[in-house]
Amino acid sequence: MKPLILGLGNDLISDDAIGIIAARRLHKKLSGRADVVESSLHGLALLDLFIGYDRAVIIDAIITGRVPPGTVMEMKPEDLRSSPGPSPHYTGLPEMISLAKQMQIEFPSDIRILAVEISDNLTFGKGPTPVVADAITALTKRAIAYVQRWEDEDKNR
Amino acid sequence: MSRKITIDPITRLEGHGKIEVFLNDQGNVEKAYFQVPELRGFERFAHGRPAEDMPQITSRICGVCPTAHHMAATKALDDLYKVDPPEAAKKVRELLYNIFTIEDHALHFFYLAGPDFVVGPKAPKAERNILGVIGKVGLEIGKEIIGMRKQLRDLMTLAMGKTIHPVFGLPGGISKPIAKEDQQKFIDAADHAVEFGQFALKLFDDIVLKNKEYVDLVTSDTYTHKTYYMGLVDENNKVNFYDGKLRVVGPDGNEFAKFTAHEYLDHISEHVETWSYLKFPFLKQIGWKGFEDGPESGIFAVAPLARLNAADGMATPLAQQAYEQMFEILGGRPVHFTLANNWARLIELLYAAERIQQLANDPEIVNPKVHTIPTETPAEGIAVIEAPRGTLFHHYKTDERGLITAANLIVATQNNAARIALSVDKAAKGVISNGEVDDGILNMIEMAFRAYDPCHGCATHALPGEMPLVVRVHDANGDVTREITHG
Repeated sequence: MKPLILGLGNDLISDDAIGIIAARRLHKKLSGRADVVESSLHGLALLDLFIGYDRAVIIDAIITGRVPPGTVMEMKPEDLRSSPGPSPHYTGLPEMISLAKQMQIEFPSDIRILAVEISDNLTFGKGPTPVVADAITALTKRAIAYVQRWEDEDKNR
Repeated sequence: MSRKITIDPITRLEGHGKIEVFLNDQGNVEKAYFQVPELRGFERFAHGRPAEDMPQITSRICGVCPTAHHMAATKALDDLYKVDPPEAAKKVRELLYNIFTIEDHALHFFYLAGPDFVVGPKAPKAERNILGVIGKVGLEIGKEIIGMRKQLRDLMTLAMGKTIHPVFGLPGGISKPIAKEDQQKFIDAADHAVEFGQFALKLFDDIVLKNKEYVDLVTSDTYTHKTYYMGLVDENNKVNFYDGKLRVVGPDGNEFAKFTAHEYLDHISEHVETWSYLKFPFLKQIGWKGFEDGPESGIFAVAPLARLNAADGMATPLAQQAYEQMFEILGGRPVHFTLANNWARLIELLYAAERIQQLANDPEIVNPKVHTIPTETPAEGIAVIEAPRGTLFHHYKTDERGLITAANLIVATQNNAARIALSVDKAAKGVISNGEVDDGILNMIEMAFRAYDPCHGCATHALPGEMPLVVRVHDANGDVTREITHG
């Protein structure tokens, strides 16, 4: 089964566009090998996008304040802290996964997250800051590497 | 090469909600502020772009309510090009808009308010979430909620091209009619949604209204403010989400003003505070009197309860019954209890479902004539719509080629900002004493603003991990003595 590559963000908001831009680059590069989807949705509404896949890569922006902007980090959903949250705008991925399990929804068992440390998530329209834009190549390479690794696993099975 | 990183929410605050509580020498609350960040540069970004792009651009502002911005922008374009869309186009727009409202209201109630009212405000934090709600109401109902939302979203995709960023609204109409063979799908979904709306109200009745503790909470002074209320009404003064006139009623429930979108600047002004990026709209004719409620203060509220308060009733029979029941039980119109927003939301959900039923069965809905070509020279366009979270204005000015020279949006959270500030301050004062703050107290303060479902920053997207909310408690010297992170 083809994996899902999901680029998240808002293509109108400076560095927050990074996941969307990476997904657009990956459309061609992964044509026929993965379903590349871009989305600006938040929270629970994202659930629909995962249904029916067994593997997924999420590409998104993050602000940890601990690493320089442009740093690409690899994570698994359990690295993100779950939270009930004060708004449905912000359903956590861990919560979505446990919801899917409880509801017996077909949800990816292997989810990898590629997160880019960003600096500006509040300014309209001027595109990503240069240091964050520089991370796009690293992001797409790593996403392709995941797809390759999963393909190899399936071959050797 | 993989690095394990555990995200500490405290480091991810930029773009998220913050409550600052200032205590006096006795450890009681002097003042509490709720802050949300604001996106920068929208006006500059819009400048010089063709006005026709606004429905696409503004629908990207929020990942939760793209359809509200899309529809407000589309209506502003009608006004800009002085073009009246064919009846069928207006009906299809209203049909789709009500579908969106149901989907959003259902999400809010079950996901957001549900944890407080279905699971319980004092339940352990780990259970106060959608999983706890499903645990309480049952797996089948959980599947029903997800299934119904999917059915509605599929219809939005069918009619609007994309659910998320619709390619649908045009100045003077819509991009494609509803096909005759698809009409039945809308009728079926409407019937389903009406049943769902009735079920949701029954659940509210069983779980909330039959529980004295919850009713006392809803009607407690901590969550009460006597303000003005604003909402769109039709020609019979009934609630309408898509079109009509804005009606404002006073804290006594009497009509204070009624005006069109074009007259909004005559009625609403904005107050600036140094501690908030948000401006606080108020009623011009009353004036800004600080963060006070009552008839002498120009503070007003929008969103479900405000809409029901500002109208004389609902335009559909089942919702009208529910409307009458709510005001009877809560002591007549207007109701000033902020937490009653949750009840009002479910009444609106039922109204939207009945309205879809009416529109989906209307033969006009499949009329292929859905676009009137604009011929006038554009200059200025203003529109208003009721977003799920309250009144939303879009206001554009263009040159004679239709390129934007000025754009202003007043979103629902902004319209509610002053009352939200009142609510947070009052709740903090009501629940914090002698400097004691814990997680349960934090939730009680959060409930005060959660009922409005404020949109934090409205476009600030971040990795879906958590939405931290920080409460900082300052002592009489202004030093931070306590910091609690929800997340």
